[in-house]
Amino acid sequence: MRELTPWLALIFQRPWRLVLGGVLILATLASGIGLLALSGWFITDTAIAGILLAAGTQVAVNLYVPGGGIRFFAVSRTVARYLERVYNHDTVLRLLTDIRVALFRRLAGASRTGQSRLSGAQWLSRLTSDVDALDTIYLRVIAPAALAGGITLLVALLAWVLFSGAVALGLLAITTLAFVLATVAVYVRTREPSYRQADRQEALRTAVVEHIEGFAELRAAGRTGRHGAWLLRQAHQMNSEQVDVDSKVGWHQAISHLLINLSAVFALWAGYGLFEIGAISGPVLVLLPIAILGLAEVYSMLPEAFGKLGSTVSSAARLNRDAVPAAEGGKTETAEPPDDLALAARDIAVRHEGFAPILTHFDLTLTRGERIGILGRSGSGKSSLADTLAGLLPPSRGDLARQPCAYLTQQTVLFDDTLRANLELGNPAATDAELWQVLELVDLGDRFAREPEQLDTWIGNTGSRLSGGEARRVALARVLLNPAPLVILDEPFTGLDADTRSRISKRLERWLERKTVVSLAHGSEALPTTDHVIHLE
Amino acid sequence: MTAPEQRNVRRWLTELATGNRRWVQGAVLTGTLAGMATIVQMILLARIVHLGVIEGVAVSELTGLFIALIITLVIRALFQGLQTRLAAQCSKRVRRTARRQIHRHWQAVGPVAMGQESAGALAREWIDHVEALHGYYARFLPQMQLSVIVPLLILALVFWLDWLAAVFLLLSAPLIPLFMALVGMGAEKLNQQHFETISRLSGQFLDKVRGLTTLQLFGQTESAANLLALRSDRYRVVTMKTLKIAFLSSAVLEFFASVAIAVIAIYIGFGLLGYISFGPADELTLFTGLLILLLAPEFFQPLRTLSQYYHDRAAALGAGTEILARLREYPAGSHDLKPQPATDTTAGPANLITLTNVCYTHPGDASPWFTDLNLKIEKGHAVALTGPSGGGKSTLLYLLAGFLVPDSGEIRVFGQPPGKAGFGWLGQKGFLVHGTWADNLRLTSPDASDIAIDAALRRVGLGDLVDSREDGIYSSVSDQGRGLSGGQARRLSLARIFLADYDLILLDEPTAGLDSASEIFVLESLRKFSEAGKTLVFSTHHHALLTLADRVLAVDTGEVADA
Repeated sequence: MRELTPWLALIFQRPWRLVLGGVLILATLASGIGLLALSGWFITDTAIAGILLAAGTQVAVNLYVPGGGIRFFAVSRTVARYLERVYNHDTVLRLLTDIRVALFRRLAGASRTGQSRLSGAQWLSRLTSDVDALDTIYLRVIAPAALAGGITLLVALLAWVLFSGAVALGLLAITTLAFVLATVAVYVRTREPSYRQADRQEALRTAVVEHIEGFAELRAAGRTGRHGAWLLRQAHQMNSEQVDVDSKVGWHQAISHLLINLSAVFALWAGYGLFEIGAISGPVLVLLPIAILGLAEVYSMLPEAFGKLGSTVSSAARLNRDAVPAAEGGKTETAEPPDDLALAARDIAVRHEGFAPILTHFDLTLTRGERIGILGRSGSGKSSLADTLAGLLPPSRGDLARQPCAYLTQQTVLFDDTLRANLELGNPAATDAELWQVLELVDLGDRFAREPEQLDTWIGNTGSRLSGGEARRVALARVLLNPAPLVILDEPFTGLDADTRSRISKRLERWLERKTVVSLAHGSEALPTTDHVIHLE
Repeated sequence: MTAPEQRNVRRWLTELATGNRRWVQGAVLTGTLAGMATIVQMILLARIVHLGVIEGVAVSELTGLFIALIITLVIRALFQGLQTRLAAQCSKRVRRTARRQIHRHWQAVGPVAMGQESAGALAREWIDHVEALHGYYARFLPQMQLSVIVPLLILALVFWLDWLAAVFLLLSAPLIPLFMALVGMGAEKLNQQHFETISRLSGQFLDKVRGLTTLQLFGQTESAANLLALRSDRYRVVTMKTLKIAFLSSAVLEFFASVAIAVIAIYIGFGLLGYISFGPADELTLFTGLLILLLAPEFFQPLRTLSQYYHDRAAALGAGTEILARLREYPAGSHDLKPQPATDTTAGPANLITLTNVCYTHPGDASPWFTDLNLKIEKGHAVALTGPSGGGKSTLLYLLAGFLVPDSGEIRVFGQPPGKAGFGWLGQKGFLVHGTWADNLRLTSPDASDIAIDAALRRVGLGDLVDSREDGIYSSVSDQGRGLSGGQARRLSLARIFLADYDLILLDEPTAGLDSASEIFVLESLRKFSEAGKTLVFSTHHHALLTLADRVLAVDTGEVADA
């Protein structure tokens, strides 16, 4: 449960909104209970009066107050329900934003080892479902549980005022048991399978993906049936566990409902004692049990929500793990090199944590304005070296000093946003003229001048589709806009044909005139102009 | 979703349940019994109140009724619990059936068609889309029937007690189907809206997370966070506008339920006072009056529950549409689902691979790819297929593998239909599973000994890598998915072929895109296979591979000829 703390703190940043939303739910539930209880009171009252009237006795029956009350509750229940739903939905959408923005900030500040997991569609889709689980915790768990407790106390108070303290206590005892069974007990009994559920599903997903990727090989060996059956068994086992959780939730719901009903029976039975000695009237005797019956609706939401709490906690745990803040007060800043140097790497080793080093004893010294090419076949550790030089991957040993740098990663990353927004990442202060200038440089000026929205053309996954080569050039343009004196380009020309490559290469030479450039590629034809070239083994 | 499409999906959802009808019926039966217990509970409650308050019966004489009431409550709880259990069981079985169907479909369409889809997308259908059916069978389906049965039971009883009160109930819910449609429309719209907002927000969020490194490189994370907040807030405002209207429909249900209860309470009250001189009102007693009042909310409860479950239906329909689209992707009669030629009418020669008058047309193509192709490959030969890319080399390999079935003609591999006996296959991507080296090799040869596995790994040059790991062949192949390069993965696949000792080995561009170390091992392995008398058929442009071949076939636009 401790895993939830940071997220609960985030949710409770809006205490008044939560309280008001809660009050609206309370008003809805109280109106519903009031409607039935008052109706019961009214019917009993009129039944007694009716008999007296039929016997010829004169009785004054006040029809207006209860009649008005009944009408009021009927309307207030509807209005409160509507307002409650609108208001609380708005709250949920706000919390959704809060949680996403906060999580994004935490991920941005997370340590690199945490971030190395930030890759792959699987991780992203799990992240989505984990965040979704947290979004609803207020409306599913916190608010209903708090209100069930609150309204139970209200009903107990009613019992105390109308009946007696002893009845109120008896009532509280039974409903408390119902409350515990519907909440904490469900959580405790389903915690482990619920907690495991997401991990099991991920393991299964990995296995299914492998099955599909190896389908041809498995088929050739005549094993798709067997392996498929194994997958089916895994899925079935996962679902069996889920059925188990569902059943437990169902039984808890049934039993807590039973206890609520029993407490109504208890109130009726105890009320009879009071009725017989004349302490309470018939209508009042009817009012309380009916009010208690209304509690069932409040309690019915709880078991399912608490049955899912285990998986919510595991979601929170995963998010906390993925967003561990960087140790030692943030990232270690790369030192500035001596005056005339742009980059000085001495005896550095490049390795990913937990793996054999990719490069060792690597030395590189660049004077300002120098252009160097680094060649290596794919898998030679070229991109890891680029990451290290750019500061994404700290060297496992050795010293690295360099000027601030702009880095074109091997992977092209564009955002679902306008062309302008994507380019301005490189330099938020860039003018339109500068943007067009750099687009001309990468041969995209005409391409976007033709678009009706020009710089505001929406690009990325949901926007107008760019070809791989176009996307690469936008990413390159973004790096070129950046004023940093050192530029590191990893495979800058991926997806470009030879003509475009040579045109851009020439213009690059002038654009980067006063800058220091490190270019990395798999072959010399993929490098821009360089002063000299290093080969990686 | 178009109407006929939705009808198809609904029919499919119903068909899925046919094998498990007992469970659905069981859930509905227990739900109905729980509903009946509720009615009995209310009868007993009203009876006790009537006897005590009106007839003045002493509480000590009501013990029997109290005990009956408690027993009824326990029975109600039992049936409620059972209902959940049965419904959950039903959903579990249905999901297994759905998964089986999808897997059977995979088997039928074969590796070629599957290779054109992203593995992640197919896995999502198999796992998440099938999981999305859960709520439909576990909650919505039984509740849909219960929301008709239970209100009708109550209505019948109320009608018998006081027909005018029953008319009020009926009027407030003019016609149950109409009411349900109203609820459904609202709930569906709501669900759709909510889903759209969430997925848009998720999209924005994921987009930024995916590019986090880029944002950090440019020092723009804070502005991205602010943008995220701004965009999310704008979505919220837009969504709330539509939600305000969508919520109205559920408010209408709530309003009718509240008003019906209020009207009934006031009608009964006035009736009991004798103020109503028409209809059945003068026969009302506290028992009947209170009972009608207690039953009124129970009349509406199943409908309200159903409206809560409506999103389950929407989710199942959405997921079902995608699954069904997948299952119908290759409708009956298309090439990939053609039945294998029935029996070995002509068992071919056991020492030859023969293609006799083979015609093959790609699905969707107008003209055939191969027309009357005749080819003989001798056992033990190494045959290279060359030719321009797109010339049909892979198609020929797929036909030999049995991954594709010819329109007409006959293919025999050592006398048997293709794919009948196991063979070695090496695609352009190697394949490995999350597990140890041994797991990976036993995937295709479950009975292989440790020594054989170790030897097979050494033959493809992975011995050093295995030795460097602590637990040898029982150490994990990849940690965090970063363990093997593409070339190493392909060598792992080759090791499987060494281990299994197949007669026929088909390889699609075995050296394409490999680093030099892996290339050497692959060439060496092929030479060893060839020396061991295996029949090799491979497509390639690689010079070294061509020299290794006993025979080179040029494959170009459906023509196959010795080069």
